Amino acid sequence: MTIRGKIPFLAGTLIALGVGWVGFPYAINQRRPQPVDFSHKVHADKAGAKCEDCHAFREDGTFAGIPSLDKCSGCHAAAMGTTVAERSFIDQYVTPNREPQWEDYARQPENVFFSHSVHVKRAGMRCESCHGPTGGSDSLRPYREDRISGYSADIWKVKGTNHGMKMADCVDCHRTNQMEQSCLDCHK
Amino acid sequence: MKTTRREILFFAGGSAVGILMTPAPWRLITDTALWSENWPGIPRPARGAITARYTNCALCAAGCAVRARCVAEQPVSLAGVAGHPLSHGALCAYGLAGHHLPYHPARVTRGSEREAMAAVTAAMDRLAGNEHMAVLDLRPGRTASWTYRRAMAAVKNGVYVAAGGALANAAIDLSKARTVLSLGVPLLEDWGTPGNVMAARAGFHLIQADAVESRTAVMADQWLRIKAGSEEALGQGILQALGGQTPVAAAEATGIAEQQFLALAGELRQNGPALVLGGARSKSAAQLNDALGALGRTIVVRREAPVPDAWKKAAPAVDLASVEDGSIRVLLIDESAPGAYLPWSAVEPKLVRDNPVVVTLGWTRDGYGRHAQYLVPAGVYPEVTDDLPPAVDSVAATFRMSVPLVQAPEGVVKPEEWIARAAGLQVGDTLRERADAVHRAGRGTLFTYAGGKSVAAKDVKIDDFWKALQAGACWMDEVEPARRPAAVKVAAGATRQAADLTDDLPLVVVLTEAPSSPLLSKIYQESNLKLGPEQVAIHPLEARAAGVEDGARAVLETLAGRIDVEVRVDAGVPLGAVLVASRPAVLDVCGAGVGAKVVRA
Repeated sequence: MTIRGKIPFLAGTLIALGVGWVGFPYAINQRRPQPVDFSHKVHADKAGAKCEDCHAFREDGTFAGIPSLDKCSGCHAAAMGTTVAERSFIDQYVTPNREPQWEDYARQPENVFFSHSVHVKRAGMRCESCHGPTGGSDSLRPYREDRISGYSADIWKVKGTNHGMKMADCVDCHRTNQMEQSCLDCHK
Repeated sequence: MKTTRREILFFAGGSAVGILMTPAPWRLITDTALWSENWPGIPRPARGAITARYTNCALCAAGCAVRARCVAEQPVSLAGVAGHPLSHGALCAYGLAGHHLPYHPARVTRGSEREAMAAVTAAMDRLAGNEHMAVLDLRPGRTASWTYRRAMAAVKNGVYVAAGGALANAAIDLSKARTVLSLGVPLLEDWGTPGNVMAARAGFHLIQADAVESRTAVMADQWLRIKAGSEEALGQGILQALGGQTPVAAAEATGIAEQQFLALAGELRQNGPALVLGGARSKSAAQLNDALGALGRTIVVRREAPVPDAWKKAAPAVDLASVEDGSIRVLLIDESAPGAYLPWSAVEPKLVRDNPVVVTLGWTRDGYGRHAQYLVPAGVYPEVTDDLPPAVDSVAATFRMSVPLVQAPEGVVKPEEWIARAAGLQVGDTLRERADAVHRAGRGTLFTYAGGKSVAAKDVKIDDFWKALQAGACWMDEVEPARRPAAVKVAAGATRQAADLTDDLPLVVVLTEAPSSPLLSKIYQESNLKLGPEQVAIHPLEARAAGVEDGARAVLETLAGRIDVEVRVDAGVPLGAVLVASRPAVLDVCGAGVGAKVVRA
């Protein structure tokens, strides 16, 4: 290959690398803001709330996930602070009793059975192990949804961690911790 | 500067190389695969409130208690109910996947209901004096069974035929047994109430006579590896040994040494109470139990759950064998609840020769639907309300219902109502009437699954009693002092084992359990853990003699007929035997112990 041939080849390579590493990850996901600018940090620091205060387990041991409006209304029936976000939340959701349509960063596909109870209560894992440092965040990042698969972009990589939430990540963790694994554990 | 074609190609080549070094192409491949998971038409589970509901499994006569985890009223997983006095929290593999049954590929939801009713009415009008209208009930002992008996009492020449074993009014008390001899009965895998059997297991010494290394044989204390189809000969040999004789012929027939017969007889006699389990048609099991004093000790009388007095004017339950050949003009078969399957070769001779009307009410065409003129689709567990007769190992009478967890599709009928209507019998809410009769008897306890506690039935109000039963509760009668049942009656046609063996049919059929739920069918078929519906297994030497190889298509022939099969060659199958999965199509041409041969297709 001559110098004259190498230049367009390298140019093509560099442009493709730029598109593949920078443009593609941006383009493949669509972003949607969360309905409320919620601060985990404020709730943890000022209200002294722990993860399980809002993301609780039901009486039968199943995980309730994102809290419903009733849980929020328990404290925010009237404004507790002076922030615009809280005022907006009360006006738009608490007062009209309208459930916020939260976007779930970590929703597993329908063909997966995942038990929070087993991982948190039995294995003693911390929430941050899988969900990253969400509990310390001051605002909710936009929800990124893969345009093709329709799944949350967090399955590829959870912000603040070095892992995702794909099957391979589950298997890796189980192997590392020498836990038994079989298809029917998750795909019941 | 002019751009040449060569430079464009270099640029394209560089781009291709570059893009391969990014995550883009690999992510696109994975994303496309994930996208295919969400194509339209792929069922998506409902989302909603998570609740627990309770019912009783109707997949077999055990009727184990079931706790269903439901999401938005849809059951997503089933489990046993801890603390249940009979099922002890256990649920078998089929029971765990029972909620898949309504979605079975063989499910039938459309049929010829109106045409069937018209044909039955017309045939009833032309019944001759010596002809019968009959109901064949595959699971007798239910409230629906009483309706069938009342319906047959209300029509001209009505006959109620009950399929089932010789122990209809007796129960087996495993907790009292110290030695159990099983003549090929799958005691630890497909018999009685699994939880109850396992709870009693530590208390008895199990001797399993089996030609193949079944799961029960593996878990037994002693496995007697007998020749295929020689269970009856073994029983007769032990009887001889108990009488002090040397069982020479039995030793030859079974492959068991004469001394071992004497040792077995000694163990059964000395380590009592003993119990011998055989098939429904096993004459030697009945004789052995009589000789060993099992009647009244490990086999006891069990009274039936109370029924309203008004129902007692009903046709008696009869055995199919006692019905005269060529006498049934109208035959209605309730196969909505799985039960004992009577081979069509036994049913067909009972029908009149000219245009009999056979209607089957079932959920699949795989059973009698293959032979009946009309198949009326019926609901299936867990979408119907039906009560469950007590299991063979339940010493006390029970009354519990299988209540719906899912809604039945439109167009399916309730067999009880359909048959009553055909017979012109007016029936109300029979289950409620029966429950009230049980409550009025004022005895027994009610075990509620949600609360996990037992209360005396008489302390519960009659409406609350009914509500509890609808929520899956179980009424258990008081246990009576053990009473000796009448001598066990063995149905005609018994001990035909090995009788059909000829030089032309040299293999003995050994039946194995067939998978039934869709999930388990898939797992078993993909894993080859069980024989599939059209498979038989034979020893490599038998396969060589028949000229067939593993996976080859072949024909299984018996005196009763032939069926197309796929051959699996398995060194675990004993010489002289052919292992067959027990499905209706197979049972029509062969039963356990009959002679057969495998012929290359």
